[in-house]
Amino acid sequence: MQILLNNYMIVGAIFLFGIGFMILLLHNNLIKKIIGMNIMDTSIFLLFVNLGYIKGKEAPIIIDGVMHASGYVNPIPTGLMLTGIVVAVSVTAFMLALTIKLYEKYGTIELDEIQNLRGD
Amino acid sequence: MQNLIKLIPLASIMILMLFAFVIPLLKKKKHVYKLTLVIMSLVTVINLIHVVYIALNGGYLFDVGHFPAPFGIVLRIGEVESGIGLLFCFINLMVLWYSYFSLEKEIKSNRIGFFHTLDFLLLASLLGIVFTYDIFNGFVFLEVSTLAACGIIVVKDKKANIKAAIKYLILSSLGSGLVLMGIAFVYSISGHLSMSYIHEALIQNAEGKHNLILISMILFTVGLGIKGAMFPLHIWLPDAHSSAPSPSSAILSALVIKAPIIFLIKVYYLVYGTTILSGTVVLDLVLFLGVLGMIFGSLFARSQKELKRMIAYSSVAQMGYIFFGIGLGNKLGLIMAIYHIIAHAVTKACLFLSAGSFIEQTGYKTIDEFKGIGKEMPVTLGIFTISSLSMIGIPIFPGFISKWNLAMASIESGKILLLFVLIASSLLNAVYYFPIIINGYFGEDNLVGKVFNSKIRPVRTLLPLIILSVVMVLAGLFSGFIIEFIGRGIYI
Amino acid sequence: MEKIIMLLPLGVPIVGTLLIADKKIIKDEYVTKFVSIVLFANFLLVLTSLFGNPLLQLHVLGVNDFLDVYFKIDQMTRVFALMASILWILTAFYAFEYMKHEQRTRQFYTFFTLTLAVILGVAYSGNLFTLYAYYELLTLCTLPLVIHTGTEEALSSGKKYMIYSFAGASLVILGMMILYSITGTMTFMPRGIFNDLSNYDQDLIRFSYIAMFLGFGVKAALVPFHSWLPNAMVAPTPVSALLHAVAVVKSGVFSLIRITYFVFGASVIKAVNVTQYLIPFVVITVVMGSLLALHQDHLKKRLAYSTISQLGYILLGILMLNPNGLVGAILHMINHAVIKITLFFSVGAISHMTHKKYIHQISGLGKKMPITFICFTIASVSLVGIPPTNGFVSKWFLGVGALNADNLFYIFILLLSAFFTAGYLFPISVTAFFVNGKQNAKQQNAKAHEIVVEASLEKEAIETSDHSEQMDHTGASIASETLDPSPFMLVPIVILTVIIVGLGIFPNVVINFLGGVIADAF
Repeated sequence: MQILLNNYMIVGAIFLFGIGFMILLLHNNLIKKIIGMNIMDTSIFLLFVNLGYIKGKEAPIIIDGVMHASGYVNPIPTGLMLTGIVVAVSVTAFMLALTIKLYEKYGTIELDEIQNLRGD
Repeated sequence: MQNLIKLIPLASIMILMLFAFVIPLLKKKKHVYKLTLVIMSLVTVINLIHVVYIALNGGYLFDVGHFPAPFGIVLRIGEVESGIGLLFCFINLMVLWYSYFSLEKEIKSNRIGFFHTLDFLLLASLLGIVFTYDIFNGFVFLEVSTLAACGIIVVKDKKANIKAAIKYLILSSLGSGLVLMGIAFVYSISGHLSMSYIHEALIQNAEGKHNLILISMILFTVGLGIKGAMFPLHIWLPDAHSSAPSPSSAILSALVIKAPIIFLIKVYYLVYGTTILSGTVVLDLVLFLGVLGMIFGSLFARSQKELKRMIAYSSVAQMGYIFFGIGLGNKLGLIMAIYHIIAHAVTKACLFLSAGSFIEQTGYKTIDEFKGIGKEMPVTLGIFTISSLSMIGIPIFPGFISKWNLAMASIESGKILLLFVLIASSLLNAVYYFPIIINGYFGEDNLVGKVFNSKIRPVRTLLPLIILSVVMVLAGLFSGFIIEFIGRGIYI
Repeated sequence: MEKIIMLLPLGVPIVGTLLIADKKIIKDEYVTKFVSIVLFANFLLVLTSLFGNPLLQLHVLGVNDFLDVYFKIDQMTRVFALMASILWILTAFYAFEYMKHEQRTRQFYTFFTLTLAVILGVAYSGNLFTLYAYYELLTLCTLPLVIHTGTEEALSSGKKYMIYSFAGASLVILGMMILYSITGTMTFMPRGIFNDLSNYDQDLIRFSYIAMFLGFGVKAALVPFHSWLPNAMVAPTPVSALLHAVAVVKSGVFSLIRITYFVFGASVIKAVNVTQYLIPFVVITVVMGSLLALHQDHLKKRLAYSTISQLGYILLGILMLNPNGLVGAILHMINHAVIKITLFFSVGAISHMTHKKYIHQISGLGKKMPITFICFTIASVSLVGIPPTNGFVSKWFLGVGALNADNLFYIFILLLSAFFTAGYLFPISVTAFFVNGKQNAKQQNAKAHEIVVEASLEKEAIETSDHSEQMDHTGASIASETLDPSPFMLVPIVILTVIIVGLGIFPNVVINFLGGVIADAF
């Protein structure tokens, strides 16, 4: 229990990941799926940024001269997550575009209804 | 000169990325075709030179922008990477050549340029996945390839395509999420992203973190397994591959599902290494899923009515062979997994393109309607036949070589019962490929009303297919050299 | 040059095939002439490469130890290659006449010639890999011959043939994989490739041998894998004759001899004591084939089941693992080939001339087709094993082999089956020569009905096509003096009958020739 409390960021991230994962898997509505995917991605960003964060240290932005390296948090995870966010945004945009197309063709964005439509 | 040659992997990616964005600027379709073919040939040729160089001098690490690891991005180029890179370029070249004659019949003409842009982006990202030595970089390339692959599915603006693309994208982003989570776990243990540094750190810090390492391994396996159509995660594949235009199907089946496998192998052996890997159940899991894929993929393929769907399910079965080879966990098994990647890429490209020609020339889709096609299109069905013989595993063809050596590898690892799986799977292959060939060439009822050579395409349009099938036969004949070449660069 | 001479017999038929396949190169009217030239030329090439060439082995493509296309000539190769090439020529001449009225003759001759190349490849193979490759090719190129008529029935038979063959080949490759993993070599060596048995896992050897025996046994129509053979009867008669006599079933037998004596070696098989698992299959094959043949009314089907039973003899001879048994097996392989091809040619002649395919229809036909039926009877006598025919010689050796193996049960099986053989073959001759169709009222009724049907069909035929003149001729001439087929068909039958008797009177020609095989095998 104590471990869980100490690592509350990681626990929260994994909790969020689970929520996003389940939404992505179980919901039939495409918009909800996309939201689920975003929650999932966000949880990973949270986890990553948390990995690089060291309590009591500053962001590695130089304002008043350079401190010793131990004075800053690790910038690499944050940098990586910038890339990750860009990727997630583009995937989301693409999925939304496809959803619009799908709605034009089928008239619905519920995947189970689309599945049933195949019969005719 | 040496430095120039070492630029080739990066240069291939850069050239492709650059010209991907030049293509939309061109107005005339003819120019698009000419430019893409020229660029593709150029990339293929420089990759060929590169392979020759590697064969003579061995592999190397390449620092992008002269920043050494762990800060800069590193490409690791060895025998496997360069060979697979050449394979991807070559197949893409052949597919583009083929699409020169047939693409406009399948997609709207204003989308031709779009298709080529996406294709170049896709190939560039796939090459990136293959060459990379940095797992986060691999992840980014993986995402680019997913988006581009979805693009070449929806380029044909039909209902089924959009549905298939959505399905693919959802599952794929699930997979990417898992991979990214895996990267986060690995990073939290090791603090590095470059494969060799992670490996060292993992070996040092492994004490007491076995569970974390195992979880990260499973995350990678499942995440990349989705993209590589590992058996129960393959559900996106048949829809996507069968609805896409034939050149796209060929690229998807031959290249797109192969690159994640290479990445998975690199993660297994360069990040974790044999010692960590052999202490876990992950390889057994991969082996088990591979076996299931080999059997059930074929069983599903047997029950399909549409030709392209059948070939797509056959891909699932063939990916099963590759996972089987990885899962055996010994050197020969891994070599054969990579050899099978080559063999299957060439063969499946042939199959999809010839099936595409049938569909294009006749307008039919289901297997029943292709009875008697051998009289109308004898050469194309001949190519189809050769490729299916390889799938079934007739000696000399590459399919046989992989089957045989996989059997040797499973005997080597003491799992003799797996031989029955290999045998059963090749029999199942025979069961669904042969009826098409037999009904295509023979049978009184089937040939009634068919006119000899009536739907044949001019030979020049079939040339890429013929070259592909010749290369396939050569890959079987010279399997000894190929296996030896892969064996030199294998990670174990 | 020597290398080329060695490869020519394997290549010339393929080149011939490619030429035949193209309408522009060989015109329709020259196809048969061209086929006969190719076959004769190839026969001479086979002779040269077998006897006149100092080079006896050749690696064509040695990529690594296992992917090695390797040809080697030994006495066993000579036996099989000679048998195949001679019978091929006779079949070709028979086919020229028989196939005149069939469709798609060009397709037939294409695959007919191609199959010769593959069979010679089987004979010339110097290691198991090459043999296996040719074995698979054999299935692929005989399939179009089996489904030649293109009817629904033919296609489903072809499918069955395909599935059985591939299942068999899969078993073979299973055995090969295990064999290669324990020995690392698959080259045929006299007395086998195992030097010292104690180095190897005996269970694996046993398993490998059983898998390969059953696998090759599929082509050799081993019960319970036999049912493709009777189904394959839908093919045209020359094809059936070849399938039974040389091409398919005998390549199965040949491969079995190869693996038993040249891969594993008789001593190893004795040592691992594996025959006890296989003998039951073989015995069932012998007995069941005969029993099933007894109640077939369809002439070709009866012969097909007879083939299954006779192949059982050969397999029994192979499994006796002593020199006399092996001589008997190889002799019976040759003799059965000659006999069965004669029987099939006769039956084919009957159905070609009179369109009669069932035994109850042929009563009294012996007087109208005397030469055909005399040949048929001589061949039957030989298959039963009555001197002075070649069937007797091979059965004699099989019997001696059984005695050497100290197993009276084998002899009992041999005698029982000979009895059955007489039981299913002689009634055909008896019906043809001594039953007068007109005396049997029931049969007459049935026949009368048939004649009506036939007559009405003939009328239609006359009205619709010019071709009908020929049909009319055959139909009308039932009443006339003789129905023996034209010389093209008759001469091969007579030659084969002469061979049957000749080999019975002078068996030493072949037996001396087999001396080399026995020397290699033991």
